[in-house]
Amino acid sequence: MAVAEAITQPAVARTRRLASRLRPSHLALNVVLGLVAVFWLVPTVSLLAISLRDPSTYGVTGWWTVFTAPTQLTLKNYEQLFSTGLATGGVLDSVVTTALITVPATVLVTVISSLAAYSLVFGRWRGRTAVFLLVVGLLVVPVQVALIPVAQLYDAFGHLTGFNPFGTLPGVVIFHVAFGLPFGIFLMRNFYTGIPKDLLEAGRIDGAGEWTLFRRVVLPLGLPAAASLAIFQFIWVWNDLLVGLVFLGGNAHHTLTIYLYSFTRTLANNYWVIATGGIISIIVPLIIFFAFQRYFVRGVLAGAVK
Amino acid sequence: MARVALEDLTKRYAGGNLAVDRLNLDIADGEFVCLVGPSGCGKTTALRMIAGLEDISSGRVRIGGKVVNLLPPRDRDIALVFQSYALYPHMSVYDNMAFGLQLRKTPKAQIEKAVREAARILDLERFLDRKPGQLSGGQRQRVALGRAIVREPAAFLMDEPLSNLDAKLRVQTRAEIARLHQRLEATMIYVTHDQVEAMTMADRIAVINEGVLQQVGTPKDLYEQPANRFVAGFIGSPAMNFVEAEVTQDGGGSRLLAEGLEVVLADAQAARLRDRGLRSVTVGVRPEHLHPGALEGPGLRLSASIDVVEFLGNDELIHAASGGRDVVAIVDADVRLAVGDRVVLSAAPRHVYLFDPDRDMSLTVR
Repeated sequence: MAVAEAITQPAVARTRRLASRLRPSHLALNVVLGLVAVFWLVPTVSLLAISLRDPSTYGVTGWWTVFTAPTQLTLKNYEQLFSTGLATGGVLDSVVTTALITVPATVLVTVISSLAAYSLVFGRWRGRTAVFLLVVGLLVVPVQVALIPVAQLYDAFGHLTGFNPFGTLPGVVIFHVAFGLPFGIFLMRNFYTGIPKDLLEAGRIDGAGEWTLFRRVVLPLGLPAAASLAIFQFIWVWNDLLVGLVFLGGNAHHTLTIYLYSFTRTLANNYWVIATGGIISIIVPLIIFFAFQRYFVRGVLAGAVK
Repeated sequence: MARVALEDLTKRYAGGNLAVDRLNLDIADGEFVCLVGPSGCGKTTALRMIAGLEDISSGRVRIGGKVVNLLPPRDRDIALVFQSYALYPHMSVYDNMAFGLQLRKTPKAQIEKAVREAARILDLERFLDRKPGQLSGGQRQRVALGRAIVREPAAFLMDEPLSNLDAKLRVQTRAEIARLHQRLEATMIYVTHDQVEAMTMADRIAVINEGVLQQVGTPKDLYEQPANRFVAGFIGSPAMNFVEAEVTQDGGGSRLLAEGLEVVLADAQAARLRDRGLRSVTVGVRPEHLHPGALEGPGLRLSASIDVVEFLGNDELIHAASGGRDVVAIVDADVRLAVGDRVVLSAAPRHVYLFDPDRDMSLTVR
């Protein structure tokens, strides 16, 4: 009986959902939402269209003409951008540079935030709340304020150890990690507080130490939050211009944003480079988003307690 | 399997709040002991101290003769069934049960055997691949039991494992746990606020109130010889009736009098009260021991007018007013009683309990 219900329920729910979507009030709502979505996509679609058109057509015909005359589509822009290969200062080199900054910055922030949040929520030490509030307080510090002090700090570190992180990839990564952690810890801590303490106690009785509890119980349950954090952090770092511009000063390798930025200054009329580079810079975060999307499983905690 | 001993076990919280006060309890190997008391009485705290989830303020916990105060939970060789079940939601039923053994590096084949066996006992074989979220409350409860069984621990600790089940399932699972205890011959310490659970399952019951152990004994002991008024009122359903009464001496015998109540004491009992020099006592009588109709000689007589009659099938539950008090009695349904009737309810001398009104200790002579 219960099994039969469970099987038929989704089918029934599906029909009901469809019916409600077609009701006049819902129809109007869906039309409005659809229009908003289209409106939202126009800039991106135009960028894509421009990147796929011959540069000579720019300023002559509108990008929307690709819909009526698809024959103008060409991969010429991409071929030209990629033709430099991995040469320093080229587009591919800047993609690699950006990835070398973004991937470690994302991994480090996600891992450190998860561990810190575990300790803040499940640890048994005094002053946990105070530390957490301090971390929340750090959320309001603007990046711009820290640029010069951190640069000086790097300089002092250089005097002390002989390695000045200023102008190097690790220097940029460390900066991004430092500024990603407050939000990461905030997010993970708030998610972990929703995990019943009973689960950890059950684990302790089952024989798990702290590390096993973290790895086998808390981390799998915190995966949706960790995935959200990884996506946010990835996109922030990937799209960052300011930190890269300041802290990679003097480095021959540029991030993708710096690469594009340099074209807006010198080749303002060569809009096709911006469009093509822009599409390249959009694609990677999109891939990351869809790759992590499957971890957004709702109701992972269902059935834990009660 | 092992003996579990609590020696002056005490839990004092940082604020000075005494949750458990010098609890002494010796639980034999294979014994089923219930810790029972109202919510907040410290019974769960005591259990958590045995498990190692709560620090012990003072006193000792011995498991199998060894003091385990400083051992972490995993080294105490106990299993705990949580009130909330606390199943790992991201693991299958199989993995939930196998987790403890996997962490102990038990060989795979042995784990498989233990889990299959537990699943067979608990009728969970069909659900081994499911996640807890796909199970009903009763099934989750059985998985929680299974997780405890596969470990073959020295002692099973259970913290109100039935309180999240509906009434029918609770009765079934109660029997299941009792069967499990017989089958495993395991030491079990079971915490509940429900005295019916304690009475039906336990070899011995420890009644706790406000952190203090009130009485330990078999269900029959506690029912027939409660040590004080708290135990008398807590054990038995519906609860015992209590009436404050004056002690009067006349002629050769003693009587206890209150408005609507008269108790003629047997000689030994009267002598006991005389020795104590008590002017008043608390009289207790269980609803099931009150019968309609007067009784000659020693015993209790109570005149009352009936307020409510609840028909239970075989019996009727009577709420009656006697001298401004509500008195409850269970009478045979054949006795036709109606709301508004004035009746005399009587109880035999051996069913009358007397308590010191100041210290609430039992004064009953057996």
